[in-house]
Amino acid sequence: MAVDVVAPSLERRIERLDRIWRERPGLLGWLTTVDHKRIGLLYFFTTLAFFAAGGIEALLIRTQLAGPNERVLGPETYNQLMTMHGVTMIFLFVIPMTTGAFGNYLVPLMIGARDMAFPRLNALSYWLFLGSGIFIYLGLFMHRGPNCGWFCYTPLNTRTYDPGPNVDFYALGLIFNGLATTAGALNFIVTIFKLRAPGMSLNRMPLFIFAMLAVSLSLIFALPSLTMDLVFLELQRKAGFHFFDVAHGGDPLLWQHLFWLFGHPEVYIIVLPAFGIATSIIPTFTQRKMIAFPLVALAELLVAFIGFGVWAHHMFATGLPTITLIAFAAASMMVVIPSTIQVFAWTFTVVLGRPEFRAPLLFIGGFIVFFVIGGLSGIMFAAIPFNQVTTDTYFVVAHFHFIIFGAAVFPILGGMYYWFPKVTGRLYHERAAQLSFWLTFLGTALTFFPMHIVGLLGMTRRVYAYSPHLGWDAYNLSETIGAFILTAGLLLIFGNLLWSRFRGTLSGPDPFFGGTLEWATSSPPPEYNFPVVPKVTSPYPNWDRADREEDARRLVAGTFVLDEGHETPASTVRDGYLDEVLSMPPESPWPVVVALCVALLFTSLLLSHVVVACVFGGLALLALAAWHTREPEES
Amino acid sequence: MSAEAARLDRGRIARPNGWWGIAVFVATEATLFGTIIGSYFFLRFQVPQWPPAGVPDPKVLVPLVLTAALVATSIPVQIAYSAARRDRLGVARLALLLALVVQAGYLGIQIRLFIGDLDKFSPNQSAYASIYFTLLGGHHFHVLIGILLEAWLLLRLITGLTRYRLVALQATVFYWHFVNLLAVAVVLTQVSPAL
Repeated sequence: MAVDVVAPSLERRIERLDRIWRERPGLLGWLTTVDHKRIGLLYFFTTLAFFAAGGIEALLIRTQLAGPNERVLGPETYNQLMTMHGVTMIFLFVIPMTTGAFGNYLVPLMIGARDMAFPRLNALSYWLFLGSGIFIYLGLFMHRGPNCGWFCYTPLNTRTYDPGPNVDFYALGLIFNGLATTAGALNFIVTIFKLRAPGMSLNRMPLFIFAMLAVSLSLIFALPSLTMDLVFLELQRKAGFHFFDVAHGGDPLLWQHLFWLFGHPEVYIIVLPAFGIATSIIPTFTQRKMIAFPLVALAELLVAFIGFGVWAHHMFATGLPTITLIAFAAASMMVVIPSTIQVFAWTFTVVLGRPEFRAPLLFIGGFIVFFVIGGLSGIMFAAIPFNQVTTDTYFVVAHFHFIIFGAAVFPILGGMYYWFPKVTGRLYHERAAQLSFWLTFLGTALTFFPMHIVGLLGMTRRVYAYSPHLGWDAYNLSETIGAFILTAGLLLIFGNLLWSRFRGTLSGPDPFFGGTLEWATSSPPPEYNFPVVPKVTSPYPNWDRADREEDARRLVAGTFVLDEGHETPASTVRDGYLDEVLSMPPESPWPVVVALCVALLFTSLLLSHVVVACVFGGLALLALAAWHTREPEES
Repeated sequence: MSAEAARLDRGRIARPNGWWGIAVFVATEATLFGTIIGSYFFLRFQVPQWPPAGVPDPKVLVPLVLTAALVATSIPVQIAYSAARRDRLGVARLALLLALVVQAGYLGIQIRLFIGDLDKFSPNQSAYASIYFTLLGGHHFHVLIGILLEAWLLLRLITGLTRYRLVALQATVFYWHFVNLLAVAVVLTQVSPAL
């Protein structure tokens, strides 16, 4: 909301806010920053680098599989690249991109806060994430990367069959990564519960925030089983414990149960932020509030909840008792209900609104198409006999790529276009953006659709080569061609954004007339996000013109500006009543130091130096103590 | 400064961010232990004999008595928090110190028992021993973290009370209630084969 009246006292207030919230410039500023927007940008560029790495791995895999018996990659290299492609795209790209980059940048803006609840913890979660990503990639660069597939089944993951450090890079790296993700999820939950602008009761929360809340809760309850599984694995590999080997009373299925108890909620962790992005973009480009708002909000939470009860459908071929199979098949069918509610809500909002098919909405259209296709093949896996026949074939690969690439990454790409003006203050190039959509759409369909067919023809996943005359050649070739078209589309997107960053036309604060609060402040937003604590009376506050005019009056009058210190208001959890004014911590060098100690701890564990690891653990604790000697009120 | 911090704290309607932070942390830690205890029983029901031949049944009385002593420290830590909220810092420090001594004693004895067990049966022999030592080791580690938090807080309270420290105290007290509850779940799992 532009302010028309410029009073001298107002200018002084803005100046004071600028001074209070300004951070150190230069490289040191980036190392010590606690500003959620800068941390969001750090996440964005880091995950983009990992996306590029994962993409190159995918292209190498597709080149190797372009024709029968190709010799581009050897089997060992193929296994490492295939594993790293999965690990990268899930743990180092989609989750940190949606929660770390989009969530960090947008959550405080959408709820009208000035920062996250724990700004220094936020910085720590980024540095831990960066450390874990580098840690996992070190293995690949030494040609000792993880090579057991992303779910790394036992006994292949034991020292008998995988004596090198490959699996250790995987297990320790993912425990390390889990710390970062847990810290981030915790921060989102508390931020969403406590830092909403006064007036934003739970039922006035934007749907994007509901999705982020569902994701964060899922992470909090899903990650521990992965972490413990990996701890068991490392104890077995490094210290000779027995959890998964039958000879000593262990059970290989324990690995699978714990893995999928995490692994299936993980699927919803991947797609839920995409739902959130869709529910942000659709109302803006149809200029209509989401229909069935409360149902969609509940459906988002319900998807996350049901996701915890369906893990065994990944294990239908392992010989579980029939009664177990039936229970899990029924639970898997149940996911259809909240998913369908959302599909209908998105579609009918577009139908009943005045849709303007600009690039972000096109990507959401692509998302809905792919989500429905991937969802339909998903229901097929709930049918026990079909599941047992197709498990570990390319049909599964086709299904989850439609979900993960089609349904999760398409909204991410659309979201990049949508919020680009907010972050940079400039508009992207619309024609090139629409072309990039059609390229990626075509590329995605061509890459992943034939996988259904080769899967049904019997091609198994994770094979590095296949024989000719099986009827698979043409499909595989078209998949490879599709992968390159897809890459061209992605390059066009990033080229467009890069060009527009410098040459795009200026956008102003609200080029699309969005409904949520991030559009109520300037583009890019100032360090303190909002010069005055925004008034909220509905889930689409930016469409309540009277409230935004009230903000402008408050700014002139100096009420609710909070320009006395590094402050943001905290509200009550359910009703969003103003409770207290919080004094937020300033920038700090300690998060990056703690993360460095933790990285060295994990490196020592990798090298089996337990004592050295304890030393670095102690150093991390000391750094944490130093961190807490600076209390926010003293600043 | 202390009186002001206590007054501001009482004026708050909702629980502070620090409390929510520790509550979410405890939720994820509780899930972690749920996973370990779940794995314990998963492994137990795969084999006919638990503990396997050659491994003694776990002791019952000593772990239960120790756990009772640990659980009792929930009282002084809660007193410490209530006293701090009323700006009675002396009482708070004393109660924290008392809890700290009992908890440190508990951990010391538990570590000796742990090492004694390691001499009797090694985690390299069976799945039982592996999950047994993982469960107990994980729990003792959480007690250690609680002790470190409390010791650090006592040091900070020497120079008086601030809002920040009061929230830290509230969070630490919450963490200890969780660890004590966890101790009950862990000890019941630990002694279950002998019951």
